[in-house]
Amino acid sequence: MIEIKNLKKVYAGATVVNVPALTINKGESIGLVGNNGAGKTTLFRMILDLIRPDEGEVLSNGKNVAGAEEWKDYTASYLDEGFLIDYLTPEEYFYFIGGLHHQNKPQVDEYLAGLTEFFNGEVLKKGKYIRDLSKGNQCKVGVGSCLLQKPQLLMLDEPFANIDPSTQFRLKNILKTENKNNGVTTIVSSHDLNHVTDVCDRILLMEKGRIIKDIATSSSTLNELEEYFGVGQTVTPGIIIDKEENH
Amino acid sequence: MISTFFNHELKAFWRSKNTGKTIAVKVVMGILILILLLYVVALGVLLDVILGKAFPKDDLVVTFCGIILIYFLSDMLMRMQLQELPTLKVQPYLHLPVKRNSVVGYLALTAILSFFNLWPIVLFGPFIIKIILPSSGALVAGAFFVALVSLSVFNNYLAMYIKRKSNLNGWVFLVAFAVLGLAIAGDFVWHVYSLRKLSYGYFGALLTKPYLALLPLVLGLGMFYFNFIYLKGNLYLEELGSRKASAYKSSTEIPFLNRYGSVGDLVANEVKLILRNKRSRSALLMSSFMLFYGLIFYTQKVYPDGFKIFLGMFMTGIFIISYGQFMFSWQASHFDGLLVSKIKFSDFLKAKYLLFTVVSTIAFLLTLPYAYFGWKVVLIHFVMYLWNLGVNTTIVLFFANRNYKRIDLSKGASFNWEGVGATQMLLSFPLLILPYLIYWPFSLLGMPYPGYAALAIIGLAFIGTRSFWIKKLEADFYDKRFKIAEGFRNI
Repeated sequence: MIEIKNLKKVYAGATVVNVPALTINKGESIGLVGNNGAGKTTLFRMILDLIRPDEGEVLSNGKNVAGAEEWKDYTASYLDEGFLIDYLTPEEYFYFIGGLHHQNKPQVDEYLAGLTEFFNGEVLKKGKYIRDLSKGNQCKVGVGSCLLQKPQLLMLDEPFANIDPSTQFRLKNILKTENKNNGVTTIVSSHDLNHVTDVCDRILLMEKGRIIKDIATSSSTLNELEEYFGVGQTVTPGIIIDKEENH
Repeated sequence: MISTFFNHELKAFWRSKNTGKTIAVKVVMGILILILLLYVVALGVLLDVILGKAFPKDDLVVTFCGIILIYFLSDMLMRMQLQELPTLKVQPYLHLPVKRNSVVGYLALTAILSFFNLWPIVLFGPFIIKIILPSSGALVAGAFFVALVSLSVFNNYLAMYIKRKSNLNGWVFLVAFAVLGLAIAGDFVWHVYSLRKLSYGYFGALLTKPYLALLPLVLGLGMFYFNFIYLKGNLYLEELGSRKASAYKSSTEIPFLNRYGSVGDLVANEVKLILRNKRSRSALLMSSFMLFYGLIFYTQKVYPDGFKIFLGMFMTGIFIISYGQFMFSWQASHFDGLLVSKIKFSDFLKAKYLLFTVVSTIAFLLTLPYAYFGWKVVLIHFVMYLWNLGVNTTIVLFFANRNYKRIDLSKGASFNWEGVGATQMLLSFPLLILPYLIYWPFSLLGMPYPGYAALAIIGLAFIGTRSFWIKKLEADFYDKRFKIAEGFRNI
């Protein structure tokens, strides 16, 4: 599905992304983890042809994404609120996105009816422009519009960050169903290790622009990740400093 | 504490994105502001001469005293529309251990730092020094200054108060507006009373009894205190901010655009963008004022035909210029979303052309009544309408590919420099010079009609070759889109 060759992006002398080679196969579910500044969003943006790479290329279905239009037919993504047209109502936005994929209003309505539970009555028919929704509800609009496009490739950047626990749970189910039943390739980044290891079959761990770990999810993956992210916090009994003695 | 606030305020000003990063913009902005200031200063210094010419029969001081109240009434009208509330900036301090009195005091004090409070001194100060000081003495001149400053302080805080109140209830604004309008109409339309007499009644008395200056002083201080108390009691974000309590927002459709397919959808979105955001709405409003320019200029005989070309261009195409100069910044906040969605850029461009065509056609139809000033006027309008649709749209879109500045749609358009850059300056040259360059040789030869024909033919030629220009613009866009998207992403 996606093939990355020798991809590099440098900002003001600092290498933000440096991925020599990466292949993502059709039907895989990828979880992208890494601390702030690891280069996750920049990598996303380069896959979506929003940033010009300094070196290398991203192939989507064998074709370079740069300057091409075909990948937009089967790729749906939501990185941040900048992807939403904020002065439209959610309905207007869904009709617009649906229209781009040759769906008429009844078709869009029908599809949205299936997302009623996910929207939890907070998105449709509320009489608000998208800009007046909370961040969590904006995220629901973004994810909803992605699903509406019936993509083969779905990319979400930290979708769990702003949504409530019930919606997180529902979103995880949606992602699993899309991946397992509809064969959608999903790439999801998150800071919540429980969520990614639950949803994704393959975890990519980024550090300073590089993918330093590429692991198939197993029962030990969560521990492995927690160990990595818990650097410096792993408290071993021997070096606990006694408060009384450390005045 | 207040000095810390001021320090932060200064930093906010100098470090804000719209202060203008490039030196060229700063220089041009500085020159423009300087010219404006010079005009006002000149007006102030020459006020005695101007008043003498305008009312030759009356005594100079009587006329002067007569206009002050009228000035402050119109000042109030202007303030209510243009003055911004210094509000949301306090948000980062509200949750910190800072005394409420300091926050409120700071809010109330910064409200003084408005250009509106400078005008009366610049306008009337010279007159007071030149005429009143020699004739009535220092005490009276001082009393005049005190009265002027106090009245502008009074106006300042009254306008603030009305604006704050109207944020909670829109009717307040309308009522205040109506009261002011009636007060002015009572004099100039119905002649029930004379504002000039009223004004002279007070300021004339001030000439002999300088202690009367205490009256506006008390009013001004009272208004300040009243504002202070009001702010202190209502220091909540939703009540301070300029966001109004929102009504139910319904989804709308523009059936006319449906037949244009996805291009029509894009235009419908853009129409919604214009109508639902403050800055674009005020740009549209200003464009519609332009339609009345003909009334000012066509009623005077002195303007040559060459000037009518510009008039025709501005009246039928001001939207293309005023809205188009900031393209695609209007869509900056969701530009990433547009780039990754299934929109062909050629469709995106076609939508812009369609939008321009629709709005210009409406503008052209609205200017048809100018036929009253002769059919030639309509002819020129039509020629320039074609020119706008053909040439100006293409120029504007060419420069849109070179515009990397984000703008915030929720702020008003007047005195808003956000998003203004070298692009807008450069853009104005071809827009203003090109039509004249074509027309001028014909005009020299004394053949205006072939000149109009030339303009119309070029306009039509560009309309006919639109698909070619769209291809060119598209190729150009693919070259620049990363830079555009990156510029728009910088908040």
